[in-house]
Amino acid sequence: MKKIGLIVNPIAGMGGSVGLKGTDGETYKKAIKLGAKPTTPQRIEETLALIKRKDLYFVVAPGKMGEDFIKKFDFKYEIVSSIGKTTSADDTKRIIKEMVNKNIELLIFVGGDGTARDVYDVLGLTIPVVGIPSGVKMFSPVFALSTYAAAEIINNESEKFIEKEVLDIDEEAFREGKLGAKLYGYLKVPRNEELLQGKKEPSNLSKPEEISKKEIAQYILENIEKDTLYILGPGTTLATIAYNMGIKKTLLGIDAIFNGQLVGTDLNEKGLLALIKKFNKTKIIVTPIGGNGFIFGRASKQFTPEVLKLIDRTNIIVVATEDKISRLECLRVDTGDAKIDNNLRGPVTVITGYKTETIIEVK
Amino acid sequence: MTINLDKNENPYLPDDNVLKAAVKGLEVLNRYSKLKYLNELKKLLGKYNHVSSDRIILSHGSDLLLREIINIFSKDRKIIMVSPSFFPIAQYALKQAVQLTKIQLSPPDFTLNSDLLLAQLNEPALIIIDNPNNPTGKILLDDYLVEKILQNKNALLLVDEAYYEFSGQTFANMIEKYSNITITRTMDKAFSLAGLRFGYLLMGDYFKNHFLDFPSYIATPTLLAAIEALNKPEYMNLNVNKILYEKKRLAKELLKIGIQIFSGNANFILVKTKIPDFARKLKENGVRIKDLSEEWAQGFYRISIGLPEENDTLMLNLNKMNIDG
Repeated sequence: MKKIGLIVNPIAGMGGSVGLKGTDGETYKKAIKLGAKPTTPQRIEETLALIKRKDLYFVVAPGKMGEDFIKKFDFKYEIVSSIGKTTSADDTKRIIKEMVNKNIELLIFVGGDGTARDVYDVLGLTIPVVGIPSGVKMFSPVFALSTYAAAEIINNESEKFIEKEVLDIDEEAFREGKLGAKLYGYLKVPRNEELLQGKKEPSNLSKPEEISKKEIAQYILENIEKDTLYILGPGTTLATIAYNMGIKKTLLGIDAIFNGQLVGTDLNEKGLLALIKKFNKTKIIVTPIGGNGFIFGRASKQFTPEVLKLIDRTNIIVVATEDKISRLECLRVDTGDAKIDNNLRGPVTVITGYKTETIIEVK
Repeated sequence: MTINLDKNENPYLPDDNVLKAAVKGLEVLNRYSKLKYLNELKKLLGKYNHVSSDRIILSHGSDLLLREIINIFSKDRKIIMVSPSFFPIAQYALKQAVQLTKIQLSPPDFTLNSDLLLAQLNEPALIIIDNPNNPTGKILLDDYLVEKILQNKNALLLVDEAYYEFSGQTFANMIEKYSNITITRTMDKAFSLAGLRFGYLLMGDYFKNHFLDFPSYIATPTLLAAIEALNKPEYMNLNVNKILYEKKRLAKELLKIGIQIFSGNANFILVKTKIPDFARKLKENGVRIKDLSEEWAQGFYRISIGLPEENDTLMLNLNKMNIDG
């Protein structure tokens, strides 16, 4: 039997129907007042109805956080923990911890970006997850494309995983019509192998993510220039590059390396400016956010226009795995400074493996 | 009955004479194919393409030829491709290439930036371009760009013209003049021979010299069917015209219901929609289209042009869907 955790954020998605763009914090109460109805039950029930595997044993959150839905189906399950009348992010985190203690091998969660962040806080990259989108905002690439896709991933669960981004969208800004997001973390998601099988045209994802990252790292290492400050943006690809140089990099922060030594970690704008001014030559290495392709202005707000003003375009190295880049229509920038954005636009060469590159437009 | 609009096949069966020729080939299954049929087919292909028959290599499927060219010519030169392009070959190149540069085509126009491509030719390169491109259907090359490429001593150019009969554009007229061009073709699409898998290569001198010993073993049913089909290309032309007419009609209908289309120059239409599980919903109603989210980008689908009644069924299903862009 395979042990699978199931947790539902019962209030995710309620803001959407009443135009609130999210239910983080106090907005939830407002949503209820406006007559919001939960979208979650439909989502999870659609997925559960499509799960055909018989070898699953569910470890389920109580009541409306899971139990209420699974009991309508014919699965073997047990309930963990207890909840009060209203639920919060703390409940989500507490219950996931208990599921981990019960040795779950995969976690199915239903919710939006906020729920994904709660899951990340507890799991990080330890246990793989399947995210069923049911929020107002599901900008995080971690979510399955649909309830059907989620069921397919569970039915054909693969031993191969990819890391997908969890984003932190600023709900206040989002309600005002602005989109501000920063990278919050990564979750491990099973690759949907079923979609690859029995087709005349196989996927171009023939190179596993890990190999792609190592190839990129090797290529960067062989071409590294002496007496040059290298500023590494967030992401697992950049962490692999640093690791290959024998350096442990912060996963989500911006770190700097000079002649093989770590000279700055988790740098903010001020720290970056100071370092760039101190050294003669600087190169920035970044990777785009999967799905939307932003290289500046989203995941790494620390690269402000003031910082980017000091870096020549030719000294910006973009790296991305073959899988990520082939799915993007273009790269994007939105630094908040139109002149800087314009400077960054145009074709750029992205390193995608060892001596493998893709030329793509920055828009 | 499932309607298959996912593999860019020809919805029309070959002419009766072609079917009979294939059956005739089956009657001698215990024997290897005869050299005279091979030579006859090469002669007919030479006539069809206005090139001498010694510039032609035959194969079961043009993808085998594409792979062979990658094998032979990518050892000491980098491969330049566009992305997206015909996925099995893109995947093979990724696996085999010592050095690989992809040029990404971007919506909405998916054009190839020729300056970017030419700027890459400062070192030996094998350029592989499907023209029209699959899955966008876009014509990426013109005479000017192709000649520019071919005049560069570093360049070897492979043009995959699998959809030539639909696009009407070919560079076959360049292979006498330039040694560094080769063209792959197939009779699977326009000639309705997908089930027999037949492709061929048109070669400039440089390629020709590398393919002198290439074994052309083609099964007799395939040989005889291809010969018969080339003896009467009018039948193929008629089908191509019918398909192109249907394509126009379908494109109009798709636009009417608000689906974004990229019509292109082949026997398929690329569409983009935000409708979740678009392909699956159609599949549940018996219509298969190609979901490109796994190989390429989310929200893109490729619809091959079917028989008029098949296209009607597709539209009927789409009209039932809630199209919200």
